[in-house]
Amino acid sequence: MSARTIEPAPTPFRERNPARGGIFREIYRHLALLSAYFSQYAKVRVSYRGDFFISLATSIAASAFSLGFVVVLFQKAPQLKGWRFEEVLFLYGFSMIPYGLFNVLSLNLYDFGNTYIMEGKFDRVLLRPISSLFQVLFEVFRIESLQEIVTGSLIVWYASRHLQIHWSALDVTMMFTWALSGGVIYVSVFLLLSTFSFWFEDRIGIHPPFWNLIAFGRYPLSIYSGFIQFLLSWIIPFGFASFYPTAWMLRRAEFARYTPLAPLVAAACLTIAILAWNFGSRRYTSTGS
Amino acid sequence: MPEPLIQVRELSKYFRTFHRREGIWGGLQNLFVREYKTVKAVDRVNLSIDRGEMVGYIGPNGAGKSTSIKMLTGILVPTSGEAIVNGFIPYRQRRQYVRTIGVVFGQRTQLWWDIAVVESFKLLRRIYEVSQKDFDARMEMFNQILGIRDYLHTPVRKLSLGERMRCDLAAALLHNPPLLFLDEPTIGLDVVAKHHIREFLRAINLEFHTTVLLTTHDLDDIEELCRRIIIIDHGTALFDGDLQVLKERLLRTKQIKFVLKDRAQAAGLTRFAGNGVSLEPVDEMTFRLRFDRTQVSASDLIRQLLASVELRDIVIEDEPIEEIIKRIYSGEASLSDGDAGAPAIGESEFGRR
Repeated sequence: MSARTIEPAPTPFRERNPARGGIFREIYRHLALLSAYFSQYAKVRVSYRGDFFISLATSIAASAFSLGFVVVLFQKAPQLKGWRFEEVLFLYGFSMIPYGLFNVLSLNLYDFGNTYIMEGKFDRVLLRPISSLFQVLFEVFRIESLQEIVTGSLIVWYASRHLQIHWSALDVTMMFTWALSGGVIYVSVFLLLSTFSFWFEDRIGIHPPFWNLIAFGRYPLSIYSGFIQFLLSWIIPFGFASFYPTAWMLRRAEFARYTPLAPLVAAACLTIAILAWNFGSRRYTSTGS
Repeated sequence: MPEPLIQVRELSKYFRTFHRREGIWGGLQNLFVREYKTVKAVDRVNLSIDRGEMVGYIGPNGAGKSTSIKMLTGILVPTSGEAIVNGFIPYRQRRQYVRTIGVVFGQRTQLWWDIAVVESFKLLRRIYEVSQKDFDARMEMFNQILGIRDYLHTPVRKLSLGERMRCDLAAALLHNPPLLFLDEPTIGLDVVAKHHIREFLRAINLEFHTTVLLTTHDLDDIEELCRRIIIIDHGTALFDGDLQVLKERLLRTKQIKFVLKDRAQAAGLTRFAGNGVSLEPVDEMTFRLRFDRTQVSASDLIRQLLASVELRDIVIEDEPIEEIIKRIYSGEASLSDGDAGAPAIGESEFGRR
């Protein structure tokens, strides 16, 4: 060893403790990284042009078919327990917005147990100085699902015209907030399901039944029995992602009085999911070698 | 005396696994009744590593090397014991801590699979908040020693193993951490790539005083890079100390390889066999005498050899380090028996006390 090497390394590692920057700096840093992650991923996706257009076409077709079901349904029955076609259309269109947000991020949530836990990819996540949850959520995006947000907005616009709904600035702000809350609710529920992989190291997927439950929330809750209404409102609150905001916009007071709770419900879901995540990730056991 | 960079006390990791029965019926039984057993992957390991050291961490497959590294890098939470690395508790202060280390797993890349190498580096630059100036300077240095410029624009998945490894190393050092963990960094690499990587490690150790802890099965890595080694098996540290000390303590056989002047002289060699010396022909003219250095003196043997035959060439060799390690793994050579409680040599210390 040469004599000159005893000086400290050029990066003084204690002085640059990021915790000193405080939580706001950390949030800012993560948001900046989010845009970097997204643009990086988008660049890769778009570079495979054929693949991207096929995915986009598939996504649009899927939206069209499920919407088609609503249309067919109303050709048989003009009303659904007091809900007109345009009203259900509004509900359906609005629900596509939070659902689209969720779909953009959901890819890794379905796959988490398999790729991150069983294959040990979570090792890499833990080696980076950013939140592990952030990395798992924002490492891949289903970009084509942004289409659902656009399509959903167009359907809402179309339905509003037929229902003669006038949008005030407040309405727009509220609906925007609720759409965002709805996205958070969907993500949180599926995130919570993904954290089960920390405990059960088998390739089980417990997502599908819950995924089917999302579809329930895309119809008026009033058509269901009390049990399902309760389930979708207070246990797995998908109703707050679609039905309650719509009820508020359509001035159905019976349900609309609960609508302002949506951001709170979203915050509660997210808190539970994050706590479970933090608790679970301490149990991570990695793979051999 | 500065405090050590890595301080580990009684660090243990136990895994609870269940016995998987075979066959369909066994699989069904597994669903309902499970017999658990505890595997001690790492069992009360103590170690202390100073800044600037390059330490080889070796042991057979399943000895607990990777598990140790994963605890030291904050990936796994230990079952018991404690570790303080760079002044942090890795598994509690993960996010602050991992900024101060670099990690390379030979088996798995840390880079993004689908994007070009340079894009991965740019992303890492932002993650670790490296200034553009430092980034450029380091990239230049990495390129000089590792020669990565040629494939900077290739996606990681299209790189050869050697190229990928070089990129992984560069990525792990982009934020110039004072401590680098390498888990089998030369696994599966060709001679040239291995050489490059060893050169690079030596260079950063000298230039930045980077501390390196590396696990490997390739003992050439150790001999070329590390003065100190730690041998672990069944989760316990068997030896921790100077490579030279290990050799002195366990080096039993030496060998003399020589080339005869002419074929006819071979007949005179037979008398050397026996008495703790064995004779092995290498080819027609070349032979090897292996002997126990504690029983036979090399100089006596050479004197006798020169007196009885004419030689064209002669070389005295130590037993390869592989042989020593093999004996330790198989339990033939014990570091604790007989010497148990032996005074620590220098700063070294024997794990099982």
